[in-house]
Amino acid sequence: MKKGIKVLIIVLAIVLVIAIPTISSYNGLVSSQEKVNNAKSQISTQLQRRADLIPNFVKTVKGYSDYESETYIAVTEARSAVNNANSVSKQQEASEELDKAISVFVNAVTENYPELKASEQYTALLDELAGTENRLAVARKDYNDVAESYNVSIKKFPRSIIAGIFGFEKVDYFENAEGTDQVPEVSFE
Amino acid sequence: MKKILSIFLCVFVISSLLCLCGCEEETLKPTQKFFINDFADVVDEADEETIYNKGAELAEKTKAQVVVVTVETTNGDEISDYALNLGREWGVGDKEKNNGVVILLASEDRQVYISVGYGLEGALPDSKTGRILDNYGTPYFKNDNFSVGLVSVYNAVLDEIYVEYGFEPSESYVPADDLPEAVEEGSSATTVIVSWLILLVIIILYSLFFRRRGIILLPFGFGSGNGNNHFGGFGSGGGFGGFSGGGGSFGGGGAGRGF
Repeated sequence: MKKGIKVLIIVLAIVLVIAIPTISSYNGLVSSQEKVNNAKSQISTQLQRRADLIPNFVKTVKGYSDYESETYIAVTEARSAVNNANSVSKQQEASEELDKAISVFVNAVTENYPELKASEQYTALLDELAGTENRLAVARKDYNDVAESYNVSIKKFPRSIIAGIFGFEKVDYFENAEGTDQVPEVSFE
Repeated sequence: MKKILSIFLCVFVISSLLCLCGCEEETLKPTQKFFINDFADVVDEADEETIYNKGAELAEKTKAQVVVVTVETTNGDEISDYALNLGREWGVGDKEKNNGVVILLASEDRQVYISVGYGLEGALPDSKTGRILDNYGTPYFKNDNFSVGLVSVYNAVLDEIYVEYGFEPSESYVPADDLPEAVEEGSSATTVIVSWLILLVIIILYSLFFRRRGIILLPFGFGSGNGNNHFGGFGSGGGFGGFSGGGGSFGGGGAGRGF
């Protein structure tokens, strides 16, 4: 009887010694994974924000002229691709297309309609666009920061064991595709 | 024994010195006046006091913090990043309301940037921030009239915040309803964004919750709270009323101009 209790205590102690660090590591991993997810959704939000700005932009330009051209069509197509994207990675892809389309469009417009550049509406929209680019850059950087600390934490011993058991996987860093970090060049005189 | 000790001491001193040289990253610390940090020395004494008093009054009434920083140069950093980092490091704005604003002027770079905390992005959208700079800032900054320009930009920003929180703005306030029509519609875009964000968070939480539950049942419940790294609280009591950052966060909103 006494022996039985002794064994029980030992088993319990071993279980506790294993269980407590496991639980705390697990919880730590969950919260850092959550930070990664949150940072990722920030990027997504900003991408959507930018896509939402485009109709205003186009409307302003149209107020000045019946501006219809290939560059305009490219922008609207890219925009609807962003809206129809059903996964984050597809949204990223579509946004890269939209990026390129916007900068071509902006350049074409400012060349053809210099008086537009002076308009207050246009300045306001470009401010919004530039601000969104900046938010996007910040969101991407924040994402990479939390992704890095998450990736390090799942690789470090002994958490790596727990990460392995519960299937915590390495997340990818966000890298800018060629040219997408270029904000449409705008100069304010 | 003594020898070993002294060698040890030497190594310690040298390594700590090396560390000081190596890892000392120059981060600006807020001055005693917190709301006006004139590192470039371009603001008059009287204007500094005006800004400080107005900033303190705003902070007391609304908890919002509007901080002016002047530097000669950002040392090659993007001015938007520089302003954002100041706002984040100093924790400008209330921790819960995230209502901080950093107005950064780089006098040698001839650039100015207003960085807006999350909580004030509604009151100060980028387009409005840009217009404030166009109307109240750059005309003065172009003539090196930094002191006057900063005060007038400061007043304009404060007015917008007072209006946002339901206070009376100053007499010189020009209401924003003369904003171009297209920009007004930006607010509907904001609602779309907000609903998007909420939806995303729900989806993420939902999928995480169910995935977890399938794998393991923890007796303690999971999640250990997300450790917030903001420094909070008012402290540091200095001769000048002792304001300090409340822990607001910034997401990159704002607008800038060269002049």
